[in-house]
Formats: sequence, structure tokens, C-alpha cells
Amino acid sequence: MEWDWEFVRQIMPTLIEGLKITILATALGAVVAAVIGLVFAILRMTAPKPIARATSFIVEFIRGTPLLVQLYFIFYVLPDVGIRLPALVAGVIGLGIHYGTYAAEVYRAGIENVPRGQWEAAKATNLTARQTWIHVILPQAIPPMIPALANYLIAMFKETPLLSAITVLELMNQAKSIANSNYRYIEPMTLVGVFFLIMSLISVVFLRWLEERYSRVEQR
Amino acid sequence: MKLRDWMAMAAGATALMAVAAATPATADENKLDELKEQGFARIAIANEPPFTAVGADGKVSGAAPDVAREVFKRLGVADVVASISEYGAMIPGLQAGRHDAITAGLFMKPERCAAVAYSEPILCDAEAFALKKGNPLGLKSYKDIADNPDAKIGAPGGGTEEKLALEAGVPRDRVIVVPDGQSGMKMLQDGRIDVYSLPVLSINDLVSKANDPNIEVVAPVEGAPVYCDGAAFKKGDEALRDAFDVELAKLKESGEFAKIIEPYGFSAKAAMSTTREKLCAAK
Repeated sequence: MEWDWEFVRQIMPTLIEGLKITILATALGAVVAAVIGLVFAILRMTAPKPIARATSFIVEFIRGTPLLVQLYFIFYVLPDVGIRLPALVAGVIGLGIHYGTYAAEVYRAGIENVPRGQWEAAKATNLTARQTWIHVILPQAIPPMIPALANYLIAMFKETPLLSAITVLELMNQAKSIANSNYRYIEPMTLVGVFFLIMSLISVVFLRWLEERYSRVEQR
Repeated sequence: MKLRDWMAMAAGATALMAVAAATPATADENKLDELKEQGFARIAIANEPPFTAVGADGKVSGAAPDVAREVFKRLGVADVVASISEYGAMIPGLQAGRHDAITAGLFMKPERCAAVAYSEPILCDAEAFALKKGNPLGLKSYKDIADNPDAKIGAPGGGTEEKLALEAGVPRDRVIVVPDGQSGMKMLQDGRIDVYSLPVLSINDLVSKANDPNIEVVAPVEGAPVYCDGAAFKKGDEALRDAFDVELAKLKESGEFAKIIEPYGFSAKAAMSTTREKLCAAK
């Protein structure tokens, strides 16, 4: 089997269509994960006991089951109770909730790592709860979180091909459909790999930059 | 790691891939002897009854594997080992040497004939639609789906129906690739797709299993001819294909062929009244 540049040129536009959906799914999934993660973390740390317990259980449950199973559930089972989501929305929600539980743990660890003395000092200097969070706790909690969150973002990006199982026409699915009609896997699959590699490398560079920037704030 | 190191790694990986890609595939001269020695032939199937089916106990049946098993037995290959594959992945899998033959109801179409060596026809069937009761969108052909901007069709990835829909001009985003029969029915029931298209016998099998009064079948689809499949072999394995054909012809003549496929609902006469040449030349 030989590499055919002509074929590459021919399939590029289709793959780029798929790449757009992949990036869109990752971006939306990241937003959902960030928000849901925060909600989970806050519920677990500050809500009354029974709610905090229930939240812990849900988080453990979601973390302990495979994303693919969750996607199938959202896509194929929820319509039975009348919730019919379009494929991409189902995918984004699946990714968002799954990675939200991981993000929740990161948030929790970040916040709990702020020394108790900081809370006490804030109280002693008569800061309000709002001031305590914004000026004392979060500026110390967020920078250590960034590398961990970034890892999850890249992991999530690389998990998006799972969405092809619920008929989202993302990069992997487009490549499969090209391979299906041309009986060639080498070019489409290599290009999928290359696209993912390029995107991951770019995100790594960007996240390094973010990390440095935030650590500088901390030192200031 | 610095950016430059990353780039070097990427370049190294690309070079490796290029080397792997350049290694030529060797064609086997005595494929049949090899299979005899091995004791089994690896076939690709799709789990789409009645063409191919895998029972709850893991036993492979269906008309296509049954015919293949019988023919291979007569060739001196004791058994067949089946692996389930997506339609679109079968031909690349065959070319990559993962299967020795495809016996899955992969209908002969000119572009497939160009990619693989087909045996003489085995199973023939027309195309059908499963859709909501009363056919609310009035869909009777692939062209009707192309003309209705709201109609979405589900079909197996890389299957004949997907190709027919795309050829009829249905845009890619309205051709939903359905992973398997059950998901297809579910998506139809949930209203994610308006039409689920498969060969007549497969649709009938699924619809009768689903037992849903809100689903009806349109068969045959207007403008789509009757297609026949054959066992597909790798290009270069023509000797094996020819040996397969000889035994298949004997099987057809003795009437045993009809005995195998007719309980599944296929017509032996349809397969025997046409040839590979005709089907491969057909538009």
C-alpha cells in the first residue's frame, strides 16, 4: 500500500469538516465540564451533609463508569423517557458531565490545599466570605489546578472519537466514512492521528504559557 | 520537553509510519493449501440476519456463512471462523490480510468488484425502507429522500444503502451511519432518523423482532435494482476464488444450495439466474 498525496488532497476538506466538529465538541464539553465540576465541588464541600453525600456518590458513580457507556445511555436510553437530544448535544453533555466529575476533584483538591491559616487569617481581618474567596482563597487555589485541568482538557480532546459511536460526524467518523467508501485506511487514519497530534501540541504550548502566567501572579 | 523536541518526535513518528506503509504486502500463491493446513478460513460477517447472524451462544449462522462453511468444507477446509466487522471495514480488512473471505451480503457493485475478487452470486435481495407508520414523508426511493430537506436516512456504514443514498444525492449530514440493526430501529422509533434502509429480508427480520405497530416497511425501494453478493476474496487470491466457484457451482446444481439458503428466505433461482460479470458491469 502506498501513500497517495492526490487522495490526501481530495479527502482534506471532508476531514477538516470533521475537525471543526471535534474542536467544537471539545470546546463546549470543556465549558460544561468546568461549570459542572464547580457545582459538584461546591456541593460536596459546602452543602448540608445529605446533599454532599449524594453528590459524592454521583461523582464516584460517573467516574467509575466508562464514558462510552454513558454516551450510549444518553443517546439511546434517554429517548425512552422522552428526552431526545441531537447527537452533538448528547455528546457534549456526556463529555462535559464525565470530565466535570474529574474537574470537581481538581477544584476540591485545589481549594483544600489552601492552608487553614489563610481562612483563619481572613476571618481575623474581618473579610467577608466573598472577599475571602476572591482575594485570598481562589488566587492561591487556582494556579496549582491549571496543569491538572489542562491534562483533562487534552484527555477529553483525545476522547472525542468516542462520539462517533453515537453518530456524531466528527473527525474520526468522517475518516471512517472516507475509508468505507474508498477502501483505504492509511491516509485518512494517518491524517486523523496527525490532526490530533498537531492540536494536542498546540494546546500543550498554550497551556504551558497559561501555567507560567498564573504562577507569576502567585509570586507577585 | 521543549517545542523543538516535540517536533522532532512528531517527525520521527511520521517517518516510522512511512516505513511501515512502504513494506509491500506479499501475495500468497497457495492460499488454499495454507487454509487446509490451518484447518479453518477466517471470514468477515456483519451480524445482519438473515444474511449473517451470531446467536446468543456465539454460534455463527446466517445464509452467507452457511454457504461459505459448506463450500470450504468441500474444498477441504474444515471450518470457518467469523469476525464481525462494519461493512466499510471489510474490504480494507480483506486487503490487510485480516480475513480470508468476506461472506456478509456485501453486494456486488462495480467499484467493489474493482477492489476484490468476487465469487459467483450467492445471495440476492432488493433494498427496503423501514419507516414510521403511514410513511408521513411519502418516501419511496433514495431520490425522494434527497429531494426532501427534512428527511434523514440511517444506513450501515460503508454498506450498499449508504452508497445508494449518497449516489442519489442525499447530502452527507442527512445520511446517518447506524452501527447495527437494533440501534437503527431504536433511532427510527425515537425519530432520530426518518428511514432505515437495509435489504428487504434484513428489514423484515428486524421489524418482526421489534414488533412495533408504528413501523412499516416499503419494499422494494423504487429505482434500486436487486443486488447479489458473492464471497469476496483478496485480489491475488483468484486461484482460491476459482476453486470456491467450482464447488459453489456444484452445490447450486445439486440443489443443496437452495436447501441452505431458502429457509432463510433467499431465492436460489435469483442467484443462479445471474452472473458475476453481469452484476459487476451493472451501473
